[in-house]
Amino acid sequence: MIYVLTIYTLVAIINLPPLIKNGQKRELFAFIAFFIVAFVLSLLYAMDIEIPSPMEGLKYLIEDFMGLKYPEPK
Amino acid sequence: MKNTAVKIATILLMITLLFGCLDGRELSELEIVIGIGIDSADDPDSIKLTAQVVNVSQLGLSGSGGDPDSKPYWNAATTGTTIFEAIRQITHKTGNRLFVPHCEVVIYSKDVAKQGLYKHLDFFLRAIEMRLTSFILIAEGKAGEVLDAKPQTEELPAVNIYNLVKSYGFTSHLYDVTLKEFSSRLISEATAPVAPLIKVVQEGENKDVQVMGLAVFKEDKMIDELNMDETRGLLWVINEVKSGVLIVPTPEESGVAVFEIETAKGKVKPEITDDGKIIMHIDIKLQANLSEQTTAEKLARPEIFEKLQDNMSEVVVQEIMSAYEKSSKTGSDIFGFGDMIHKKYNKKWHEQLEEDWEEIYKTIEFDIKVDSKITKTNLLKNPVTQKLGG
Amino acid sequence: MNVERGKINVTQLFFCVTGFVEGSVLLVNFAVDMTKSQTWMAVLASIAVAIPVIYSYVALATRFPGLNVIQINDIVYGPILGKLISLYYIFFFALTFSFNNRDIGELYKIFIMPDAPMIFFLAAFAVTCAYAVHKGLEPLARVSHIIVAISFTVMLLIFLLLIDIMDFSNFLPLFDVPLISFIHSVHVITAIPFCESIAFLMIFGSLDKTEKAAKYVIWGLISGGFILLNVAVRNTAVLGNTETIWTSTSFESTRLIDIGTVLTRMDLWVGVIQTILIFFKASLLLYALATSVAQILGLKSYLPILLPLTAIEVILSATVYQSPVDHAMTTQNAGIFYSTPLLYFTPAITLLIAVIRKLPKSKRRKRS
Repeated sequence: MIYVLTIYTLVAIINLPPLIKNGQKRELFAFIAFFIVAFVLSLLYAMDIEIPSPMEGLKYLIEDFMGLKYPEPK
Repeated sequence: MKNTAVKIATILLMITLLFGCLDGRELSELEIVIGIGIDSADDPDSIKLTAQVVNVSQLGLSGSGGDPDSKPYWNAATTGTTIFEAIRQITHKTGNRLFVPHCEVVIYSKDVAKQGLYKHLDFFLRAIEMRLTSFILIAEGKAGEVLDAKPQTEELPAVNIYNLVKSYGFTSHLYDVTLKEFSSRLISEATAPVAPLIKVVQEGENKDVQVMGLAVFKEDKMIDELNMDETRGLLWVINEVKSGVLIVPTPEESGVAVFEIETAKGKVKPEITDDGKIIMHIDIKLQANLSEQTTAEKLARPEIFEKLQDNMSEVVVQEIMSAYEKSSKTGSDIFGFGDMIHKKYNKKWHEQLEEDWEEIYKTIEFDIKVDSKITKTNLLKNPVTQKLGG
Repeated sequence: MNVERGKINVTQLFFCVTGFVEGSVLLVNFAVDMTKSQTWMAVLASIAVAIPVIYSYVALATRFPGLNVIQINDIVYGPILGKLISLYYIFFFALTFSFNNRDIGELYKIFIMPDAPMIFFLAAFAVTCAYAVHKGLEPLARVSHIIVAISFTVMLLIFLLLIDIMDFSNFLPLFDVPLISFIHSVHVITAIPFCESIAFLMIFGSLDKTEKAAKYVIWGLISGGFILLNVAVRNTAVLGNTETIWTSTSFESTRLIDIGTVLTRMDLWVGVIQTILIFFKASLLLYALATSVAQILGLKSYLPILLPLTAIEVILSATVYQSPVDHAMTTQNAGIFYSTPLLYFTPAITLLIAVIRKLPKSKRRKRS
């Protein structure tokens, strides 16, 4: 967990100043947005909180809802 | 500030790479296993596992300098309900986990084999450390004893057994069955698995091991045995005869001529006739040289050679038929004829033959052609005899 | 407005495609469950099925030279629908990278270092790919020559070393497998090694000459397919009927090499080659992901968002499946169905609409 915090702080330190200096607003927003998402996810993972996987949803959608499934091989 | 951040990040990255060391096992921590034996224990559900571990410090010392009683190996024995449980239990006796990648032989005792090998095979196939090229053997009596029989010319019993099986070609009276070969036969529904038999022979003070003949299984349970000639009969057909000794009666029947097999090739062609009869066309090509004769007949003449070759072919046919007859008593397809028919006559196999293959196997007819050739008579042209000029 | 500044030539494209297709060389194992000894037929059939599909990708890219697929979608479908379709592409790239990352993570965890936690492999591998993508497309393209050369040599060597254990009668009986299983297998093999190269739609934009691209791409497909065929044939010939029980057939068959008791334990080579190949494939996928996200958000460069995207991918790889068994079962079913509309139909439909609407308009202007 401390590991997660350290890595993210480091990444922020390395990446943020050039973006702010060059005034690239869009890049800055995109970076901060993804950064926050990644940070939250990593924290949840490090704290052993279960993160739902998109495949579960897709599996449900495709196999149960649409019934698209191949028969089991012998 | 950015530079320090980069430096710290690099250091952290390098520390992360140390995660790979979690698996490291030092050489002194390894208990190198070279052979494993499975016996039945007193409790009917348990097995007794004997693992032969190399005692590295004693290796090379026994006999010459060191203490003659010390062995360069150690048989660690434990009991457990399953193999993996027993193997882990050995850590109750050592301090380290067993290191299995050098395991060369896996020996099951006959009792265990008769009860069924499925439960005792899974671990060896699933474990990452095991080798698929290890040999499987069935022991008469206890596997633990077999692993304890100290060989004369080799330091480690398991290595000795491995060499024994590997050199099957010299007599072709047994067959080297690896774990992979065994599983392949096990998975095939038609073919019966086989494994070489090993037993301990007590001669005076020395205990030696002998590997001869094959055990025949039905699915995973041992049901039958093949003796030496029957085993070679099997090997003729599956093209695994490398060398061996053929004893052939001479034309005048006053003794025998002994041949050494130089090369042998076996080909099988299955055929299903229109009225549903199965005929196996077996074609054996054999080259041998005359190594010994026990009569005073002069055998080195073309017409005698002809007769000797015919007699030799007769012997081969007898060996093959004896193997077939023994195996057809139990309906075990040791030759793999079922799979051959499956590959050639796919539809007929699925429709008619697959279900009752055991019964149908007993009705197979053979068309065996043996083409023997005597290539040389080594150094003697004529036997040492007093009948000179006759 | 292009996000990438480098250019690659068509020969490099050929090696890139070959390396990309080879990246899924262990994937033949997934198909063995269904087609057993006829997997080689499924590989050949998949190559045949994939050729027209891939051709539609290249045709789309040649029609719009210098542009990547997000830009093409905007032009063909209009700003709103185009962005939605581009989101499907991005979703695909993201999931596919996580599958590949997980593939290599599982390989290491099962075979090579069972005691280390999987997240370590996932993170290390993803960060390495991110580093490669950070350097840009050109270095990746230059490296592709070496990667393909090494992998071809090693694969052929392993094949030659195993020749005396091969039993070619294992390929009989032919046509033993029911048709539905065969179709299943072809679907899997077409979707994963071949059609995942839809990621190249982000790379075609950087070609210096797009006219001859089709020939090189199709040849790249065939040579990559040749290696997959090599693997399928080798595994069936060596393992015979035991093929279906192993977790990884390539590992087991390579393990059987035992020449002079010296050359044993060659399965290490399979691990090394697979790592290199999946690294190449994953880097290209990550590149596709980063550039497509950057393009859709209108950023001038994908570099800033690269690391956060990689981090999200790592967590995604760690959580997407519960276990290798889950991975295998899902890949054979839902894993290929979710992408079927995208891989097979979307580029062809895009091309069709472009032809009907007579896009890109600049072509018309050139003529008049």
